[in-house]
Amino acid sequence: MHKLRDAPGDIEEDLRSELEDIAGNGRVYVLGLGNTDRADDGAGVLVAQALKKRFPLFSFSEHDGVEGTVLDISEKKEDAIIIFVDAADLHASPGKIKLVRKADIRDTEITTHRVAVALMASILERADKRAAVLCIQPGRIEFQGKVTRPVLDSIDLTTRVLTTIMKNANS
Amino acid sequence: MRELNVEALARVEGDGGITVTIDGKNVKSVTLDIHEGPRLIEQLVKGMTPADDLNVVPRICAICTLSHKYCAIRGLEKALGIKPPEKAQVTRELMMLGENVESNSLHTFLLALPDFLGYPSAIAMLNDYGDDVKRALRLKKFGNHVMAVTSGRIVHGENPVIGGFGKYPSRKALEEIKLKAHELVPDAVRAVELFASIDYPTYPEADMRFMSVNAPKNQFGFAGESIIISNGKEADVEDYKKLTNERVVSHSFAKRSLYQDKPFTVGANARLINMGKRLDGQAADLLKEHYNERWLKNPLMNNLAQAIEMLWSLEHLPDAADKVMSLDDPPIEKPTRENGSGTGAVEAPRGTLYHHYEIKNGLIDAADIITPTAQNLDDIERHMKLTAERMLADGKKDDEVRLGLEMVARAYDPCISCATHLVTLKRI
Repeated sequence: MHKLRDAPGDIEEDLRSELEDIAGNGRVYVLGLGNTDRADDGAGVLVAQALKKRFPLFSFSEHDGVEGTVLDISEKKEDAIIIFVDAADLHASPGKIKLVRKADIRDTEITTHRVAVALMASILERADKRAAVLCIQPGRIEFQGKVTRPVLDSIDLTTRVLTTIMKNANS
Repeated sequence: MRELNVEALARVEGDGGITVTIDGKNVKSVTLDIHEGPRLIEQLVKGMTPADDLNVVPRICAICTLSHKYCAIRGLEKALGIKPPEKAQVTRELMMLGENVESNSLHTFLLALPDFLGYPSAIAMLNDYGDDVKRALRLKKFGNHVMAVTSGRIVHGENPVIGGFGKYPSRKALEEIKLKAHELVPDAVRAVELFASIDYPTYPEADMRFMSVNAPKNQFGFAGESIIISNGKEADVEDYKKLTNERVVSHSFAKRSLYQDKPFTVGANARLINMGKRLDGQAADLLKEHYNERWLKNPLMNNLAQAIEMLWSLEHLPDAADKVMSLDDPPIEKPTRENGSGTGAVEAPRGTLYHHYEIKNGLIDAADIITPTAQNLDDIERHMKLTAERMLADGKKDDEVRLGLEMVARAYDPCISCATHLVTLKRI
């Protein structure tokens, strides 16, 4: 039977394949970004929190201090990649997942609240570490709103894929 | 007639822009346009218990989160007739020192410095100033750590409560803070050296008026019961409305402030101008070395002021940690009344913050929050207008004028998200 493109199985396999490709043979760290007070905006943090239960030394979120985590990893003497997971407006339907490699991370400015991912990726690159951003399209970002179903599904899928990758890379 | 725009003001928190209207050779107006939507927090908290209010109001801002928390606590404790235990007071001082290091390190090294070194951003600075970018991250990490140890989390910690703390920091955590603070002093000294070596443009210079809290016991600090004005006057914080005189303008979702019909400035420069003689340690020496009358006219000096203040905070963290360790953990003080009003005033990294509450039958009946950026906006526009006029008269190109204006706005370390929580929408 002809497999439908973008069926859940394909998305998961494609993402795993892409992540394995960029992860290489080094350690894999996950840093979840976002604001859990704002529904789907907290997707990255929710992924990181789920992974932290199994990989406490390799999964971090906004609650651990983003800049300090990046600084600590940049100073480790090991081959490593940090995968930032964040909600991002991809102009796509809620829950859409997209992997953005270092070269394509937009050189956005730093704001008062947090250092830009582009700067953190550049710091990692100078320390011979790699970085990529796993973006999840949010559907709702209202204050104290509930996470939408498609984004919950994407959080689960992302967590499953990263669990496999981290298990292989960090054991 | 033509317009010169900075559509999206970068390296500040929130969504704002700058519009300069030029008529022939004259600058007709310069406005800092606030695009961030209103947030109506004061209406939201009406009818809440003081404890619930305290959970909500720090959400105004993720970087001044502890300033909002502390300011609300001060106002609510007054309204409820609570005298906080000494250990709570010194632990609150400790958390404010952490927030100061966290915020000032980010603003000085990563947001302001690229302008003066000729880079478009800190990312572009990495090749030539990679060590300074790392210094910023180290300092910010430490500031965040102090905030987490005292408040329970890096952002929006819930440990500080009305009447005290849910839990006090452990001796081990405090000893670690002491050690690390000592270790990071050279990083802050480097920040002072960098900002003291800059040849600050004179374009924005004009006589200024400054306001800050008057920290108690003739010491430098980030909270107080009265406000010092640089014209020599002093006012009780309960008279904050007479100092701030808020009003609405059409081009902005943030309210504006004037004192005696004139703009004024709050922030690190205001604190050092009003209380700088109370500094001690290297911070005092460096302030003495680098202070001059341009501080009274040039808002760009706020960058140097933040660097000196960050050094003072690091030098004081060990003392503050010692004070916390020397005291036994007290119980949380309970309210002595259900009706009352009170105003808190603290120094957020970007300036004086007020929280005023009226409580009836144990519930919030009215709340009024005035943020530093809302107070600074008129003075930002005044200095930007002078900058535009003088740069254009000097034959500077539009791009140079744009950068000059952005540097003035950024020097105030504005938090646009904070400033837009309080505008009332009127439909006619």
